[in-house]
Amino acid sequence: MATTRPPRARAFARRRLYGYAFVAPVFLFLCAIIVFPLGHAFWTSLQRVRGLRSTFVGFDNYARVLADDAFWHSLSISFAFTGVAVALHMVLGLALALLLDELRSARAALRIAFLTPWMVAPAVGATIWLWLLEPQFGVVNYLLRAAGMIDAPLAWLGEPGPAFASVVAVDVWRGVPFVMLLMLAGLQTVPPEQYEAAAMDGASAWQRFRFVTLPNLRYLLIVATTLDVINTIRHYDIIGVMTAGGPAQATEVLPVLLYNTAFRGNRFGEAAAIGVLLLLIVLALSTFYMRVTRVGSEDGAR
Amino acid sequence: MKRRSRVRSWLLWSVALVALAVTLFPFYWMLNTSLKPSSEIFASPPTFVSAQWTLDAYSTIFRERPVGRYFLNSLIVSVGATFLSVLLAALAAYGFTRFFEGAATAFIVFLLFTKMLPETLLIIPYFRLMSELGLINTHIALILAYSSFALPFSVWMLIGFFRSIPREIDEAATIDGASVWQTFVHVILPLARPGLVAVALFTFLIAWNSYVWALVLTTDSSMYVLSVGIANMVGEYRVQWNELMAAAVIATVPVMALYALLERHLVNAITAGAVKG
Repeated sequence: MATTRPPRARAFARRRLYGYAFVAPVFLFLCAIIVFPLGHAFWTSLQRVRGLRSTFVGFDNYARVLADDAFWHSLSISFAFTGVAVALHMVLGLALALLLDELRSARAALRIAFLTPWMVAPAVGATIWLWLLEPQFGVVNYLLRAAGMIDAPLAWLGEPGPAFASVVAVDVWRGVPFVMLLMLAGLQTVPPEQYEAAAMDGASAWQRFRFVTLPNLRYLLIVATTLDVINTIRHYDIIGVMTAGGPAQATEVLPVLLYNTAFRGNRFGEAAAIGVLLLLIVLALSTFYMRVTRVGSEDGAR
Repeated sequence: MKRRSRVRSWLLWSVALVALAVTLFPFYWMLNTSLKPSSEIFASPPTFVSAQWTLDAYSTIFRERPVGRYFLNSLIVSVGATFLSVLLAALAAYGFTRFFEGAATAFIVFLLFTKMLPETLLIIPYFRLMSELGLINTHIALILAYSSFALPFSVWMLIGFFRSIPREIDEAATIDGASVWQTFVHVILPLARPGLVAVALFTFLIAWNSYVWALVLTTDSSMYVLSVGIANMVGEYRVQWNELMAAAVIATVPVMALYALLERHLVNAITAGAVKG
């Protein structure tokens, strides 16, 4: 046995080879499904695509998009949609988490029940809401009229204002549970001694929330908000199904503008340019997220 | 003091029940509508509990519409994506924790970056590539795309899992004469089963619930997945809402069932990352 002992270097090289065999599939896959398409998208954004023919036009598509009012309108709709939806996700999600934390005996069951909107496909959830909001026979109009809150049935998705409010409402319905889930987990990490100390000092419920709960959740709140902004600003499904950006572009957020430009307008070059601009926005937000979570530093990774 | 706490408890419960009613009402209405006969959908005022609940809408969608086909497509695509994604993630996670530990963190950062790409941007090149390869209207195009969705999360989770399995176990298996591959399959994977289950479930749910990729990559209605088939029914001239809601029930029941069974698993996995940082 001792006579054929391989040199350490050879064993080491063999080990490396095994290592490559394990990680190679995922690298090939990511190159094929993410990296190459991403490069291709950028390449497309520099071209004018007409059917199967495309010609290189440099940054023309960007110039065209940036000179187009539709883009700036869409950007402002995106910011408004994301801002309102995320704010409501966070406030309502935190409130629900606090509520569930108080109702300890039923917490597990309530958590399952409250999470359901998040488990369902956004496209299917949006379809259910289309029926709830149906102008003539929808139950929402019926209930609001019965409660005396509106006089005549409202065409929820037919008018710019109500349509915007509707898609925000559906996104809130879907997005609150996830924030609730994170906050509920976060609340379990608050040291109980801090509440006891606060109670001994005679702190009111609000003061305990303000000076014990909030500071302890600060990090999680920032992480959750950033993640939620990133996810909301690029979300397509709900608006795609409910309004496809209408009426009168009132709900045409950037992903919807992108989809409409590419697959309805057949202007792939411009759509790719819009996508790259959207990517830049998301990247800026992601950088912020990574900085906060410090996932890049060794100790923070695990 | 005791009385005050009882009042408080009542108050909290009533808030919780109101919130619960708002959250769950759409699902009740979906179910309620799906059980109504066609004649009753447009009744005014709408019936909250019908006297004539029936399964007509369900038999109609399976007989006269390709909802069974949609269901099958969703299932094939989601299961396929789950297998591929979990396989790739497990290989990568093992490779990184056992051979390239130093590069694991950099890889995680790269994966997090891919997770933040707007999917609508990737769809454009992906659609054009799949067109050129003649893979539009195939399951494989969707399986490949869907596999990438949960991959970052899966690799990241499994790296954590494999790190917690002591190296001594690998070494013991090697001393017993197991090859690297045998060690991975017969020793490490069984130990990591809870992590694999959570990751598989997560991937399945994301794939099952996905919409816009399938919308772009399938043009033939026999290849639609449930989410696309359902959303397309809305565009019909006269929408049969009871049938549409029956299809929505069919689309939501599997995820709800899976989720109710494995809730704790899934929730722990999802919150672990964000809360611990």
